[in-house]
Amino acid sequence: MTRKEYIIKQKKMGRHIFGVFPAQYPREILWAMNVAPVEIWDPPLEITGANAHLQPYICSVVKLGLELILQGKCDDLDGFLFPHTCDSIQNLASIVNDYLGMEKPCYFFYHPKAPFRDSSRIFYMEHLKGLAALLKQQLGPLDFSKLNQCVEQGRQVTSLLRELYNMRASGEISASNVQFYRVIRQGEFLLPDDFIPLLEEFLTASKGRSVAGPAVILSGVLPNPPEILTLLDELGVRVADDDFLSCSRRLLVPFSQARDPFEAMAETYFAMPPCTTKGSSIDERLNYLFGKIEGSGARGVIFDMVKFCEPELFDVPQLVKELKERGLATLVIDSELNQGLSGQLNTRVEAFVEMIS
Amino acid sequence: MDYFAGIDVGSLSTDVVILNGGGEVCGYSIIETGANSTEASEDALENALAQAGIGRGDLVKIVATGYGRVSVPLADRKFTEISCHALGAYYLFPYTGTVIDIGGQDSKVIRVGEGGKVVDFTMNDKCAAGTGRFLEVMAAKLRVPLDEMGDLSLHAKGEVQISSVCTVFAESEVVSLVARNHPREEILRGLHRAIVSRVWSMVKSIGVNGEVTMTGGVAKNSGVVVLMEERLGKTIHIHSEPQIIGALGAALLARRAFG
Repeated sequence: MTRKEYIIKQKKMGRHIFGVFPAQYPREILWAMNVAPVEIWDPPLEITGANAHLQPYICSVVKLGLELILQGKCDDLDGFLFPHTCDSIQNLASIVNDYLGMEKPCYFFYHPKAPFRDSSRIFYMEHLKGLAALLKQQLGPLDFSKLNQCVEQGRQVTSLLRELYNMRASGEISASNVQFYRVIRQGEFLLPDDFIPLLEEFLTASKGRSVAGPAVILSGVLPNPPEILTLLDELGVRVADDDFLSCSRRLLVPFSQARDPFEAMAETYFAMPPCTTKGSSIDERLNYLFGKIEGSGARGVIFDMVKFCEPELFDVPQLVKELKERGLATLVIDSELNQGLSGQLNTRVEAFVEMIS
Repeated sequence: MDYFAGIDVGSLSTDVVILNGGGEVCGYSIIETGANSTEASEDALENALAQAGIGRGDLVKIVATGYGRVSVPLADRKFTEISCHALGAYYLFPYTGTVIDIGGQDSKVIRVGEGGKVVDFTMNDKCAAGTGRFLEVMAAKLRVPLDEMGDLSLHAKGEVQISSVCTVFAESEVVSLVARNHPREEILRGLHRAIVSRVWSMVKSIGVNGEVTMTGGVAKNSGVVVLMEERLGKTIHIHSEPQIIGALGAALLARRAFG
C-alpha cells in the first residue's frame, strides 16, 4: 500500500491526518488523539513554487516540504506539526502559518537543546503537555489510558527496530540495503497497529546471512538519494548500521520505566542518541559512531549529506578528522534530495568501496 | 604470451594501454572520446593492439576505467579511475605517496599506500573549475593552442590575478584583462595560478604524503606544473604520457586480478 493509499484509508476510518515535519515529536500523543502523523521528509516532487519563498541556500527537505503544500498535495490534511528541528524548519513554519494564509491548524513543538539542565526537563514536560492541551481544542480530550497504551506501542516499535538493527550489525540479515530502509521508512506514516506486524514479518522473513562484502555505516539526515543504497547493494556492501536522523538517532531510543506517559516521553527524549538537532557535542557523537563501528565491524563511514543542511554540515569536518585519525575511512557526499547520484558521485562511492575492500 | 588491456574512457580522451605478462607496456593509444564512448574504446583498443603487434584474441583480460567505464562492453571488469591512477602512478614511480590527477572534467588528489592502494582521496566534481576543461575554455578565449599555454606562461614577466576559479566568471575576467591589453603570458600565468590554488585546497585537505606524481592531461602543462611544484616545495614526477596512467593502472589491475 502506498503512502497516499494509506492516508486515504485512515481518513475513511475517521482518523485525523497531520503532516509532520522532521524530526523529533511526541508521536504517542498524536496516536492517542486519533491522529495519523505522516512525516514529510522527501516527497518526490520537482521544486518550482518553493523557490519563490526560500533562499537558494535552504536545504531540499524544507523546499520539498513547502512545495508539497504549494502544489495542493496537503489539502486533505487536518493540520501540520512543526518541530523546532533547525532554523530552516522554524522558518518554514513561519512561512506556512503566517504568510501562506493556510486555514489548517499549525502546531509547533519546541524541544530543548543540549547542554541539558534540570530546567530543560521542566521545559520539555511543559511543552509536551502544552501541545496536548492545544490539540485538545481541535481534537477533543486526551484519553490518559489510551496515551499509556500508545507509549507501550512505541516501546514495541522500538524493541523490534532495535532487534532488526542488532541483527544487521551482526551480519544476520539477508535483506538488501534497499529492502531494509524501505521497511524502516514505512514507519514515517504507518500507525503502530500496522507497523508492528510489518516489522515482525520482516524480522522473520529476513533472518539469514548478510552479504559478505565490506561493512559501512551511513550518517546524515535520511537515506536519500535512494540510488546510493542500490549502488551499495550492487557493490556487495553491507550497510551495517546508520547514524541517520530519520532512522537510528530518533528510533533506537532507550526504554523508560516511568509510569507517567509524559514522564516516559521526556525520559526517552533526553536519552535519545546524540544528534545535531539536539545540540549534542562532537564527543558524544563520536562515541556513538565509534560504538556503532565496533559493534558492526564497519570499515568506514559514509556521510550522506543533504546539501545546505547546516546542523549536519557543521559537525562533519570534525567528525571526519577524528575518524581519520583513528584510521577509519570516510567519504563525504552531498546532494539535493531526489536528484539521484551523478556519475561523479557514483565514482566517489565506488572508489571508496574499492579503497576499503 | 598473455596480454592485458586497460581502457580509460575519459571526458576528453580515451586511452588504452596494453601490458604483457611481464608488466611491460607494449602498446598504447590516445584518441578523442567524442560522442560515443563505446566506439571510442573500441577504436583506441584497435590502435593500441596494432602498435603492440597483437590481435584482440591475444588479450587475456580487459579492465575499463574512467567516467565512461560503464560503456565498455568488452571489459571483463571495471574499476574507478581513482584506483587506477593510484596504481599506475605507483607502478611508474614506486615512492609515490600522493597523486594529483587533473583530468578533463574533474580533478582528484589521491593518497597512495603500500602496493599502490588508495588510502584516501578527494575529488572536485562540482564544476569545471580546476580541471582541464577550464584551461580549454581559456585557451579558446585567448586564442592560444592548448599545448602551448604552459610554455607561454613561463615567459611572463609579471602576473595578473584571476580572482575567481569559476570558469564562467574567470572567462569574463579574462575578457576584461584582454580589453585592457594585459600581456597574454601574464594572463595565462594568472589562470594557471588559479587552477593550482583550486587544486591546492584539495591537496591540503588530504595532506601531502611521500613523493608526488601528477597524472592526467593537465600534467602536460608546464605552467601548471611549475606553480604546483612551487606550492609543494618539491619536484613532481610526471610520465612522458601522463594521460595514459589511468589506463596503465587498469591494465595492471587486469594483470593482477586475472594474470
